Amino acid sequence: MSLSRSPSPRGGGGWSSPGLTSPYESGKSSPRRTYGDVKNNGSAGTGVTWETAKARSDEVKGHPSYSTQNQGFFSRNARRLSTSFMKGRDFSDREKLGRGRIPTHYDRAVRLLTALGRMAWRLRLRLGIVTTCILAFVLFYATPLHRVYRHTSWLGGGSKYVIILAANQGGGVMEWKGPREWAIERDSVKNKKRYAKKWGYELEIVDMSTKKRYAHEWRESWEKVDTIRNCMRKYPKAEWFWWLDLNTFIMEPSYRLQSHIFNDLSKSTYRDINEYNPLNITHPFKVPYLDNVARSPTGNSQPDSVDLIVPQDCGGFNLGSFFIHRSVWTDRLLDIWWDPVGYEQKHMEWEHKEQDALEHLYTNQPWIRSHTAFIPQRKINSFPMGACSDNGVDSRIHYSEQERDFVVNMAGCEWGRDCWGEMYNFRELSNKLNRTLWEKFKDSISDRIKAFKAKHKKEGDDGQ
Amino acid sequence: MIFYFGSSLFSGGKDRIPYGTPQVVIVTVLDDATMSEQYRERVVENREYYAEMQGYGTFYPNVSDYELLNSPSTWTLVPGLRHAMTANPHSTYFFSLSPHSLIMDPSVDLDEHVTGKKKLESLMLRDKPVVPPDSVIRTFAHLKGDKIDLILTQDGEGLCQGSFILRRGEWAKFFLDTWFDPLYRSYNFQKAEGHALEHVVQWHPTILTKLALVPQKLLNTYNVDSPGRGGKDVMYKKGDFVVRLIGCELDTTRSCETEFNVLYDEWKLQMKNSGN
Repeated sequence: MSLSRSPSPRGGGGWSSPGLTSPYESGKSSPRRTYGDVKNNGSAGTGVTWETAKARSDEVKGHPSYSTQNQGFFSRNARRLSTSFMKGRDFSDREKLGRGRIPTHYDRAVRLLTALGRMAWRLRLRLGIVTTCILAFVLFYATPLHRVYRHTSWLGGGSKYVIILAANQGGGVMEWKGPREWAIERDSVKNKKRYAKKWGYELEIVDMSTKKRYAHEWRESWEKVDTIRNCMRKYPKAEWFWWLDLNTFIMEPSYRLQSHIFNDLSKSTYRDINEYNPLNITHPFKVPYLDNVARSPTGNSQPDSVDLIVPQDCGGFNLGSFFIHRSVWTDRLLDIWWDPVGYEQKHMEWEHKEQDALEHLYTNQPWIRSHTAFIPQRKINSFPMGACSDNGVDSRIHYSEQERDFVVNMAGCEWGRDCWGEMYNFRELSNKLNRTLWEKFKDSISDRIKAFKAKHKKEGDDGQ
Repeated sequence: MIFYFGSSLFSGGKDRIPYGTPQVVIVTVLDDATMSEQYRERVVENREYYAEMQGYGTFYPNVSDYELLNSPSTWTLVPGLRHAMTANPHSTYFFSLSPHSLIMDPSVDLDEHVTGKKKLESLMLRDKPVVPPDSVIRTFAHLKGDKIDLILTQDGEGLCQGSFILRRGEWAKFFLDTWFDPLYRSYNFQKAEGHALEHVVQWHPTILTKLALVPQKLLNTYNVDSPGRGGKDVMYKKGDFVVRLIGCELDTTRSCETEFNVLYDEWKLQMKNSGN
């Protein structure tokens, strides 16, 4: 073995040379700080090895000598953990064995054990790190720590997204809620709460009961605009706002908005409405007086110019589930969305109010188009079979269990369909699809038992 | 490929302003159907003279160029301005001037006259009812000059869309597209685009917040004494920048062209005397 430096005798006695280290350790002797740096060397007199001294020195200094310094808070703590990991051990005992002086008459088993022990000893750092990692992983997911991480804007980025859930739609003075309506509301809210909590998103549940906003007019359900504006004010750091009607259910809570949609907007959305154009809107504008961006079918084609993401169903835009981005453009849109002149002329015709108004704006005002993108409906707004059912199943519109669609919107269920029944079925389906392995295992056993019993019973019936 | 190259060239050139780009473009809508050839020529001559003197650009949209869907032809000024911005994508200000008007003082530099930040801040009418005399909507009191995109005047009756300045940008597109909405055009506003303008300004704060009202005489003096619209105080006097033949196109007893020719002769004389 080689000495990395000359032996230096110490006043306090005891060993003084790295040459006394066990030969097995020699491979690791990268430059070390001198032993003299250690202040509390009182125990150095007896039974102290280079190893223990190094460990203690590291404990004092906080830096592992085998690695580059300043690896950060975590690795330093990992080091501390890994040194304390072996503390229970009597180092002086090991010293007697540890110098390659194992007598030849030792039992093979003992020798094996010793070798194993030695290996564990040599691997103690790695073991420590692995244990720490596992521990950290468990701690991260068992405690709310991962939620904090996901929520923080510069880590997981969850606080940049706000889910606006419209509760109590059309309720209030117009109609009283029955037990079914309460049940729908409870389930829907719970579903969104869980989802928002899981990914660290903000959730804003708003009361959309019909209000008489001004003494002289009913702005039925036009509060959508005011609500979005209020939310933007309430969450000044948030960027994207996801509007969800009450009759929606997030089927796959494991989907993260960022990876599902926002990380690659140019892929997850489309700018050219001709891709799917149920309203037959002429696009792009053909008039020569507009600028290039306004006449382009895809605006300026940059994902960062997208400020509104809307799905289309069989009848046009669907605002049951859509995204809107905080921006100057959005302020303008929210400002002109409701206009008394449009309202006065069209309120009889615009059955879907703000949805029709948005279609009107998109059709007639070029500045709207260059910041609007569409999203394939099933990405955020799948319909159950009851909605848009005139032409049978449409793979662009209707929920698919096989493809694990993200959100289902029971649009129009209040007009003659059973909202609560649909909500219940989808809830159960979502639970079933998202069982854990253990739950699946348990269910498969109980299913088998049931099948067995049924068969048995049938046989018994046949026998009689 | 060529398209991609072209588009990247276009977006890359956004910051670089080509040499020789006029800072201001004068936009005047002409109407072949109602204006004689001589009238149109003289209007153009008046604008060109001014533009050449100040190094400005000009743009003359024609009513027949645009599809207005049965709305009054005066609406042309809105798509016309949008067109001017498309044709001059690097110019900053667009001075929209009615055809029934003359620029009497070609020595006026618009930047010194009204659009410069400090100048505009000193001129802006703050906390003033947008539509006289007593609209509850008032201009904002704390706007900065460089945040203004639309410079308008008002007379005794309301906002004047016959002579105003618009700054190019995303806001201008939004403003023009909104103003031109078919629902406004079909609404039968009594004064068509004029009332539509008053409507959008009063109902939509994102528009009001970009608006500055300046004293009428800076951009908008009249050739007749119209008591309801300011009377003698706002009548053209020698040395004023612009004179408009206010209301001539609506009044069957008047003739825009005759009135124009009177002022045109006066303008010619002035130019001759000043040695230009």
